[in-house]
Parts: sequence; structure tokens; C-alpha cells
Amino acid sequence: MSTLIQLAERIEQSQLGVSIAESQYAFAVIEGVHLIGLSVSVGLIFLTDLRLMGLLFRHVPVNDVLRHLRPYVLTGFALVFLSGGLLFLAEAVALVKSPAFPFKMLFMALAGANALYFELRLAKQQAVVDNKSALPRNVRYAGAASLALWTLVVICGRLIPYLPNWS
Amino acid sequence: MSVQETLLAIERSGLALSISKSSHLVVAGLQVIHVVGIILLLAALVLLSLRLLGLVFQQQNVTAVGKDAQRLMTLGLVLALVSGVLMFIASPRHYFYNSAFQLKMILFVLAIVVQLFLLRRAARNDFVSPVLARVSASLALILWFGVGLSGRVIGFI
Repeated sequence: MSTLIQLAERIEQSQLGVSIAESQYAFAVIEGVHLIGLSVSVGLIFLTDLRLMGLLFRHVPVNDVLRHLRPYVLTGFALVFLSGGLLFLAEAVALVKSPAFPFKMLFMALAGANALYFELRLAKQQAVVDNKSALPRNVRYAGAASLALWTLVVICGRLIPYLPNWS
Repeated sequence: MSVQETLLAIERSGLALSISKSSHLVVAGLQVIHVVGIILLLAALVLLSLRLLGLVFQQQNVTAVGKDAQRLMTLGLVLALVSGVLMFIASPRHYFYNSAFQLKMILFVLAIVVQLFLLRRAARNDFVSPVLARVSASLALILWFGVGLSGRVIGFI
């Protein structure tokens, strides 16, 4: 743990980290960009999940939802990762010490693995490719898992400033 | 009753005290609900705007996409509004005099006006004029994202 904190201290003392942390507006603006990117990427993934679960946009073929929204989801993710990386540079020590941050990373990794499995396996099933209205149950489960995992990512992210540090 | 007295009266009401005197995790929970609501609202708005601009789901009717999108926007708004009002009454003076909060409220009122008089009208019509579609989608995007941005800045002022 202490080596991790030392590493975080070195990151925070980097030129970029210091200039973000010391600027009056940079930090707030980057937080804003993080929220916007999040609303577009994770937000549109939420909508996709609700479609996979058959709860919303049932008249839109799943294939269209996946294909049409992908460029916007990826653009949103570019904003989130860029702004998130800058925020990490500016407050690496606090993030390393917060229990919410590693859980956020863990749930992100799980959500990513779920998305990868969906893209590589589940989305290639004949019923999905053919835009059948009745989808296999595993597609619905993948949607529910994605919805739950990304919600946990958002919850952990928002809790970072509120939870007490690891002792 | 002056503004200052009104804010103090709100702050000392039973509901306000039960929030401000509770564990700080209650406010953290309200913050979580608030941001989830905003994400749902903004994502549904992005989808509806993309459809109005003809960028996605071109084979689907505007009204069909609009119905589900607006339902989700309403759900997000209710989550954000309820949690937001509870956070406000717990520390009204902190928010009322914060310039980012003031900007957020102005943009919020304008966003609601655009929602009710432009976006909802555009989403109700399968043969919506491209001008109305473009104007209402752009205005709604600027205003609602402005609400999210200015809200994020409140804590840094």
C-alpha cells in the first residue's frame, strides 16, 4: 500500500497533475466533461441494456440499436477516459486511499468483460443477427448484468469524496 | 418574510433537519440518485435528438422513439428533482447564493420551457419539419447539458 501511495504522490507532483490541481477552473471543467462523457457513453449503454432486456424501444431492432449508437458511445468513452485520466493525475493520492475508487475500477473491468463477451459471442447468435423479436434469454441477462455493473460504477464514482479512507 | 428568513425557515424545518443532522452518507445517497437521474435524462435526450436529426433509427417513426425516450427523460427528471429538492432544503443558504446553482436554475427553467413547447411538439409529429426538429433538438441539448455542467461546478465555487 505504501509503495502505491508513493507512486501516487509522484504522479500528483507531475507538472500536469500540479497545474490541474492548482488551477481555479480546470478541475471543475474537467469534472464537467467527465459527467457529459459519462451521460453519453454509460447513458446510451443504459438505453441499450433496457432494449436488450426488452423494456424499452422494443420496436427498434437490437442490431440497429447496437450499430447506430456505437460511434456515440465510443466518443463518450473517449471523453470519459481522457477527463478521468486528468482527474487521476491531479488527485492520485486521494483516489488511491479511497475504497470507492478500486471498486469503481473493478466494476468497470467486469462491465468491460461483459460487453466483450456480448460482442464476441452473444451478439453473433442467429436470432440477434436476424433481428428476431424474440431474443435468447442470455441476451437479456447480459443486458441486466451491464445495467447493474455500470450503475455500480456510477455509484462508486459518486461516493469517492464521501467514503472514509482505508485505515 | 425576507429571502434570508425564508431560507432559514426552510433550513430549520423538520424534514431539512432530519437530512442535515443524519449521517453524511444520506446526502451521499441523494447525490448518487441525483447523478443517476441526470444520466438517464441526458442519455434519453441524446437519443431523441439523434433521431430528430435523422442520425439514428431512420427506419423508426419519430413518435415511437419519442414516446419511450420521453418516458425515460421523465423518470430521470423525477429522480433528479426529488433528490435535488431534498439536498437544497438541507442547506438552502449554501445553494441559493452559489452562482453556479443560480445559473443551473435559470438553465433548468429554460430547458423545461423548450421541453414543453418545442421538443415535445417535435417528438409528437412523424412529419416534423426539419427546422423545428433541428432547433428543438439543439436548444434542448445545449440547455440540458448546461444544467448538468453548471450543476457539476456548484461544489467548486
